[in-house]
Amino acid sequence: MPAPLAGRRVLDLGALCSQRPHALAVSMAAKLCRIYGADTVRPLPASGEPFATLPPLRPDGRSSLDIFLNAGKRCGSSVGPFDAAIGDMAALARHAAAVPIKARISVFGPGEDPPMTELGLLALSGLLGIVGDALPAAPARLAGHQAAYAAGLAACTGLLAAVLAGREEVVDVSLLDVTAWLNWKVAADTMATGIAPARGDTTSNWFTVPAKDGHVALVYQDRDWPRLRDLIGDPRLKDQRFGTDHARGTNRAALLAIIGPWFAARTRAEITRAAQEQRVPIGPVMQPTELLKDPQYRARGFFAADGMPVLPVGWNGQRLGGEIADGA
Amino acid sequence: MARDLPPPLAGIRVVDLGWITAGASSSTILLDLGADVIKVEGPGALDPFRTWEGADPRSDWWNHSRHFVFTNRGKRSLCLDLKNPLGRQVLLRLLETADVLVENFRRGVMASLDLAPAMLRRRFPRLVIASISSQGETGPDCEMISYGSTLEAMAGLAALTGAGDAPVISGRHVNYPDQVVCLFASGAIIAALVERDRSGDGAHLDLSQRELTSFLLGEELIAAAAGAPSPRQNNTDPAEPGERLLAEGDGWRVEWPGGTAAVRDGASLCAADEFVRGTAVLRTPDGSPAKGIPFRLATRPLAVEDVCHNLGADNHAVLTKAGFSDGEIKALEEAGAIATAPRPNTG
Repeated sequence: MPAPLAGRRVLDLGALCSQRPHALAVSMAAKLCRIYGADTVRPLPASGEPFATLPPLRPDGRSSLDIFLNAGKRCGSSVGPFDAAIGDMAALARHAAAVPIKARISVFGPGEDPPMTELGLLALSGLLGIVGDALPAAPARLAGHQAAYAAGLAACTGLLAAVLAGREEVVDVSLLDVTAWLNWKVAADTMATGIAPARGDTTSNWFTVPAKDGHVALVYQDRDWPRLRDLIGDPRLKDQRFGTDHARGTNRAALLAIIGPWFAARTRAEITRAAQEQRVPIGPVMQPTELLKDPQYRARGFFAADGMPVLPVGWNGQRLGGEIADGA
Repeated sequence: MARDLPPPLAGIRVVDLGWITAGASSSTILLDLGADVIKVEGPGALDPFRTWEGADPRSDWWNHSRHFVFTNRGKRSLCLDLKNPLGRQVLLRLLETADVLVENFRRGVMASLDLAPAMLRRRFPRLVIASISSQGETGPDCEMISYGSTLEAMAGLAALTGAGDAPVISGRHVNYPDQVVCLFASGAIIAALVERDRSGDGAHLDLSQRELTSFLLGEELIAAAAGAPSPRQNNTDPAEPGERLLAEGDGWRVEWPGGTAAVRDGASLCAADEFVRGTAVLRTPDGSPAKGIPFRLATRPLAVEDVCHNLGADNHAVLTKAGFSDGEIKALEEAGAIATAPRPNTG
């Protein structure tokens, strides 16, 4: 079983961070280190594990956030030799001054940590404003902890690079930089054209559509349109109002009026099967409970005990980490 | 702590067959950490990002696509026809000295080029092969056609996202799974290099974008498995009751304990001081904006060190370094195995 960080000790200061986005990012990065084989130690404050009461909660009252992020880590002291430490600036200064590799999470950069939440990060990065229906509708926040977890992924990548180089390092990860980095296409287009893309604009032709038993994601490129149009088979779709991406975006309500009944009359599976046969990348909107039984995920062994997703990489055909949901 | 050390991935050679974002941007992160990245595209199989904004026949459009240039700055460009047996042989020569191969072709394409990962693993046991795909290398849906937002729907993210009655996907302006996978895939590749230092053995990494998108909702999946409901929270976070999203004039504003901000669009983002000072978008040496770097290192300032190279601009340099003679390179040109422009009707 590959274990690139086997024999290394990683200090997870997520429970000692002063702000929740930092704590979530640190805990994700440390989780990855644990799955990569590190002995991961998580010191707790006197008040106990800060995630223990955070939602979502299982019916038995346990926090699934705590289980997801902390399974397999050891509670313990920050005293002792560590190869790497992950935390915010204050926690690292207090508990990991002598640790050779540090991954340090901040809001805007080293030492810039104003009060912040994940919704604030999404708003400041533009990643909130670009998702959802057109103004004046409210934007849509990506579910879960995407801003913090993405920063955790970046922190782990930087930490691993320092391990590979075999030297002391401080990897600084700004929560805002990472969230804005995810939104780079909006920045690139704005800088190049002077026009900011907007959610629900005439190029936003991807959205969800009601089906008989839920929704599907209507996703396609301009080159896919003839096959999608012919699949639906309504002659009105040959009208010039629907001839280009821009035209379909401009006439979205009219388009939906024609294609909506076709989708509504079919199940997600029927729509997906028909679209895939025409190589149109439509897929079903799936609920978490459906994912637990999903044939693709089952075939690939994506879930361990109690719904814990394994690390999303097959490594020479193996999964890493030996996930145990209740191992915290 | 020492400063201005060589970058951590100095000496690592990457052959980049990555397209659009998921593959190409994963390689760019390796480049920014110091790897030497050779981007390989065929004259009849360009990275589709090169045609994202159309193909004006009056110009060398393939060198000017905004999103391509933004993403692939600093890589060496080898335009090599992998469908030509000579081109395939060149690739195999390059892999003799490479540490990493990144690809995100549709499943089955590598095998159709007689470059199946299993064969490459046998031939180059120290090579780390990163196969980034929609649903992974195996399973009943591994050949399903999808873009990033298709996978958001199939991974559970869309079901839990939205401010109204309908589930929401991030759409073509974001295509979220394509973006976030790069942060994870680059780390997995480096982890495999660390493991290679331990074991001497490379790896084939099978990275599924759909799985990663679900993984990033892990707490929801664990709750669902225990029988807890999975409500769409709209724009709230039950753990942050002090957050508010409020209509303000023609737009929206967010408030949270200790802070408040307008919901930014691209213009207000690009004008924001924290963004300008940050690393999300950086500048190439000629001053052009380019995709930035999602972290900083204390031992070395990371920067975008080079512009985007024209298609095939490095054919000679790459092949010479790989040991090809001038005569061999000329023969490859004459056979159409290398080129500096797409074939007619490409794009």
